This record gives sequence, structure tokens and C-alpha cells, in this order.
Amino acid sequence: MLELAVWAEKYRPKKLSEVINQNHVAERVKAFVKEKNIPHMLFAGPAGVGKTTIALALSNELFGKNWRQSILETNASDERGIQIVRGKIKDFARTKSISGVPFKIVILDEADNLTKDAQQALRRTMETFTHTARFILICNWSSKIIEPIQSRTAIFRFRALSEGDVKKFIERIVKGEKLKISEDAKNAIIHLSEGDLRKVANLLQASASLGKKITEKVVYDVSSQAKPTDVKKMLELSLGGKFEDSRKMLQDMILKKGLSGEDIIKTIHRQIYSLNIPEEMKIQLIEKTGEYEYRLSEGSSELIQLEALLTQFLLFGKKLSE
Amino acid sequence: MPWSVKYKPKNLKEFVNQFKALETFLKWIKNWKPGSKALLFHGPPGVGKTALMEAFSGEKKLEFIEMNASDARSASQIEKVLGQSTLQRPLFKKTKIFLIDEIDGLAGRADMGGPKTIIKILKETRYPIVLVANNPWDPKLRSIRNYCILVQFTKISVWDIEKRLSQICENEKIKADKEVLRQLAKSAKGDLRSAINDLEIVSQGRKRIEPKDLDVLSYREKEVSIFDVLKAIFKTKNALAAKLSINNVDKDPDEIFWWIENNIAREYEDPEEIAKAYGALSKADIFKKRISSRQNWRFKAYMIDMMTAGVALAKKEMYRKFTRYQYPSKIIVLGITKRQRKEEREMLQKLSKQLHCSERKVRKEFLPFFKIMIRDKVMRNQIESSFNLTKDDTSILR
Repeated sequence: MLELAVWAEKYRPKKLSEVINQNHVAERVKAFVKEKNIPHMLFAGPAGVGKTTIALALSNELFGKNWRQSILETNASDERGIQIVRGKIKDFARTKSISGVPFKIVILDEADNLTKDAQQALRRTMETFTHTARFILICNWSSKIIEPIQSRTAIFRFRALSEGDVKKFIERIVKGEKLKISEDAKNAIIHLSEGDLRKVANLLQASASLGKKITEKVVYDVSSQAKPTDVKKMLELSLGGKFEDSRKMLQDMILKKGLSGEDIIKTIHRQIYSLNIPEEMKIQLIEKTGEYEYRLSEGSSELIQLEALLTQFLLFGKKLSE
Repeated sequence: MPWSVKYKPKNLKEFVNQFKALETFLKWIKNWKPGSKALLFHGPPGVGKTALMEAFSGEKKLEFIEMNASDARSASQIEKVLGQSTLQRPLFKKTKIFLIDEIDGLAGRADMGGPKTIIKILKETRYPIVLVANNPWDPKLRSIRNYCILVQFTKISVWDIEKRLSQICENEKIKADKEVLRQLAKSAKGDLRSAINDLEIVSQGRKRIEPKDLDVLSYREKEVSIFDVLKAIFKTKNALAAKLSINNVDKDPDEIFWWIENNIAREYEDPEEIAKAYGALSKADIFKKRISSRQNWRFKAYMIDMMTAGVALAKKEMYRKFTRYQYPSKIIVLGITKRQRKEEREMLQKLSKQLHCSERKVRKEFLPFFKIMIRDKVMRNQIESSFNLTKDDTSILR
């Protein structure tokens, strides 16, 4: 297979034994592979610690060379409705495996984004097709998965990675790519990545693209360039009474750049702390933000709910100027 | 009370138009007995279809039961609301009469047994039923047509509208130039209700109206109806008038929603009003979500109330200014960027597959870094070839 040019993929462990600091999961999964029998599983844990990696490595070791034909990878963020469960997943699960293993594997990533209805449908599908398919559900929070599914799966909790773990991964890439990098730069990456190895790889690669030697400054430059600065400006416009301009920025983000409402509102939440407004007001705005994020999570329209949130900033801006 | 309600005919004497339809109706109702055909009213909005029924039942002191598509959508709901009622004796009055509005909307849901249920009710009813359809020749209504007599309502003449407006002015003690009323009557295009609405808006707070006061109404001809709706909502402080305003327009409430959204900050100036109006819209949106998640069309009524009356009542005082209402920017932007979004989507799909994560994650966690990486020529080439991307694909990233 073509060596991938993106390091996050290139340095994704191919074998269970290479996965960093998730031995408690890897060991048990290895035992399943040996017996050629796995239960339905639920992988829960923070981003970039190896959940998808273990699911893929497991499939690889279980099915061998043609493993890709025996698995269905899908995710609930892009198609979160009941339709994927009824259509794609059912179609795949109902046919028999052609490999030496009697079942196929459905990897359902970002499963916490599935609606409750879709989860109910999924539960029935899991039961009906147990003899031909096993499911691996991957999520950040197992609490977002309905109880009946939780009780039908073996739940594995993935650990957050330590600084030492992250460093180990940095060294792997540095060695593989023969990079020149300062200790300060490594520490900067450890700090910025917050234990997310996907982010580590991306930070390293983007930094490496800028020059021969990776310094602390380069890493911070890359990190700030990759951050959305628009959000703060948008909030400041509303606070300053320029609602129409602020609204236009929001429409650009959602309609032109295609950013998701949930990602934007999470950034708004973080940015409130850095606004130049009284502390008391920050906490009031955070409460409002939480209310609107709740509405988004219930499936309301992103654009209109976020616009309504912006008018709250407009309102607080007016109070400030009085 | 909005004038369009206040000046509805209370009895048949006041019902002065649609003589042909009226004649057919009176003959039908006189001879009606269980098993007779129903009537199917059709014609443009605001020409008296409901008003005729109201005037008649008002005069004869009948119980008048009206149902429209926003009340019930599925066969079981129609059955529940109407099935029983068409068989039972009225509670207080001596007899009753039914009107089912927007029948094409109901019948459209053939999979839910709509037409069948309606025909069953028409066959079994012990009281007269009148149906109303926008387009009676819709193939979906073929089976229903067999059980109906069609009654056409025509546009109301400019002269008749003018006469009615002048009666209203007299009653409201408003002096109006003949020219003004003629103009209002003309631009209503046969729709008496919208003419009355226009008159009410133009004469708000005035004892005398002159041609220059019509400026507020002089919008582009083509979009005249949606601009009427906006004007009605933004200029009134009457909840019912705001709510009723959208009945006149040939546009989907979802689209009207974005028309209102796009013009709130053009009309309202005080942040408190803007925040209140957006608050109402965001509540309307929540009801919209509830319609689809519960499959219950009843919530549509609340959605419409919040987006019309909710926005109208957000203001403290009516702005006495001319606002140039604009086409929804959301719809414009989506139109312009359609191709670009499609290309981007295809690129994301390629990346998503090979990076083992969702398109959303690719966009959020990879693209910002890719944008930096592709400034380096070597890395750019590597990325293009390993993901099978074209030069166009990567140029979207820049």
C-alpha cells in the first residue's frame, strides 16, 4: 500500500503491540484475536489516544491480508441519522463473511453523535446480526450511549496519555523522519497537544514544513496559525454593537467554510475568558452559551441558534456602554 | 383586532362578491342530505372562500367547524378530529357545517391513507362538508373529486375592492384620496384580504392618507407578497395580525423564516429588540425541530406564532421609517457557494476515508495543518499524490 504522506496516518501503529500505553486494552483484545471470537465492544476515551488504531489493528490481525473487505468503517458525525443504521450497516451486516472468520466487523466511529432513535435501531441490528457481524463502537463519552447498548457490549476505557507517552511518540516520528528538533520544541508540542497523538503528528509535520530545524517558536507559530481567530473577532463585533458584521462572519464560517456549529460554540465558550469585559459578565455569557449548546445538541438549526447567541453578546455590549 | 378579521362579512348580506359561487353554495346546502356530494372550493387566496362559510354559519347560527392542514396531517389524526364529529349531534347549535382547508396538503400524504380517510368521511358524514384546495386539478385529488362538486372563486375586481376599502375608511373615520384607494386595490391583484391589510398598515396612526403615504408599499412587483408579509410583521404590534400575515403568501414557512431573519437587524435598531426577536426565532426553530422529531404537525402552529408574532412583539414602538427589506443572505450564500461546497465535500470524502475519521474531524483537525504544510512544495506534492488529490483540490485549501 502507498506510504501515506500524512504522518498522523504513517505513524499510526499497525500492530496491537505498538500502541502506546493502552496495554490493558491491547492485551485483552489480543486474546480475542487468538480465539478468533470477539464480543461487541465499546471503546471510550479522549481524542487521539488510540481507539480507532486498536480497532483497525485488531481487524488487521484477525482477518490478515484482505482485512479491508471484512470491515465496514463508518462514523456518526457525517451521517448521524437513523438512515445509516437502516441502510449501510444493515446491508453490510446481513451478508456472510468470506474470510476464515465467521463474522465481519462494523467499526462505528464517533458513536456518541448518533441520535437516540438511531441508537435504538442500532441495538436491534446488533442483536439480529450477531452471528454474522460484531460491532465496535467508538466514542469519547460512554454516557452518551444508551444503556441497552452499553449492557450488550464489552466496555473498554482508554487512558489519557501522560507526557512521557507523548514524548515517546514524538521520538518515534523524529527518528523516522530524521528531524532536527530542540528540547523546548518537544515540550511545546507536549503542552499544546494535550495528550492527543493526532495533534502531535500534525503539529510536527506542519512545523517541519516550515524549515530544517524545529524550534519552540516555530511550533507556537504553527499552533496559532491553525487556531480559529475569527471567533473572537466575531464576538467582539457583537459586543461593539456591530451585529450585522458579526452575523456575516458567522454565516461565512457555517455556510462557506462549513464549520460545525458545535465546534464554533465550543470555541466561543473558550474565547469568552479572553474578552475584555467584566468578570461577572463572562459567567453570565457562559451560562447563555451553555444553553445554546444544549439546543444544538438537541438538533436545532446551527445558524439560527448561534445568531441568537450573538444577539446576547450584542445585548451585553449595550449594557457595557451604558 | 386586525381589520382583515374585523371587516369579514358577518352575514350573507355583507357578502357582496362571488355571486356565482354563492348561488351554487346556497342551492347545494338547501338540498343537502347525508349521501350528497361535498363541495370543493378553489381559487386564489383572499377572495372569500372561508368568509362565505363564516358569513353563512353566522347568519343561520350554525356550528362552524374549520380544520386546516396544520392541525392534522395523518389519516389517523383526520379520523380522530373529524370522523367522530361528523357523526355526532352538535352540542349547542341546531346543526353544524364543516370546512377542511388545504385539502391538497392532506391528500398528498397518500402513504398515510389521507385520500381514503377523507372519502370515507365524505361518504358517512351526517353534516355538510366543504373542502378547499389550491389546485383542484392535482392528480392526487382525482379520487376525491368524484365525491365533490367543484366551485370556482374568482379574483375580486379592482372596483369591488376599492368600494370595500372606502367603506372601511368611512367606518374608521379616515379620509383617503380616491387615488390612494385605487392604487391599493390595484396592487392587491384581486386579493381583498391583502388590500385590507395594506390599508390598515398605511393608515396606522393617521386620520388622512395621501398618495405619498403609499411609499411604504412600493416594493418590487415580483416579490410583492413576501414584502407584504415582512412589512406586516415588522410594522404591527398586534400578535394576531402578525401571525395571519403569512397566510397570504405563496411561500413555505421555512423560507419565510429566513426572510424574517435577514431583516430583523435592518428594521430594529435597539439591541434589546434585536435580541428579543432572535430569541423568538430561535424558539421557533426549536418547535421546528420538534415537528420532525415527533412527526407532529401540531407544533408548526407554534413555530409560526413565534417567528411572526414573536418577532413583531419584540419591538417597543413601530419604526416610522422605510426599510428596504432584502432577500435572505443565507439563501444567496448557499446558492453562490454550491459548486465550491460540492468540490470541497468530495475532497473531504477522499481524505476522510484514508485518515480513518469523519469529514468533520478532517476539517477541524487536519485541514488547518494541511494549509500550512502545502506551502512547502515537496510536502504538497506528496499530499496530492498519496490522497489522489488534484491541484484544484489543494487550491481550495489555500
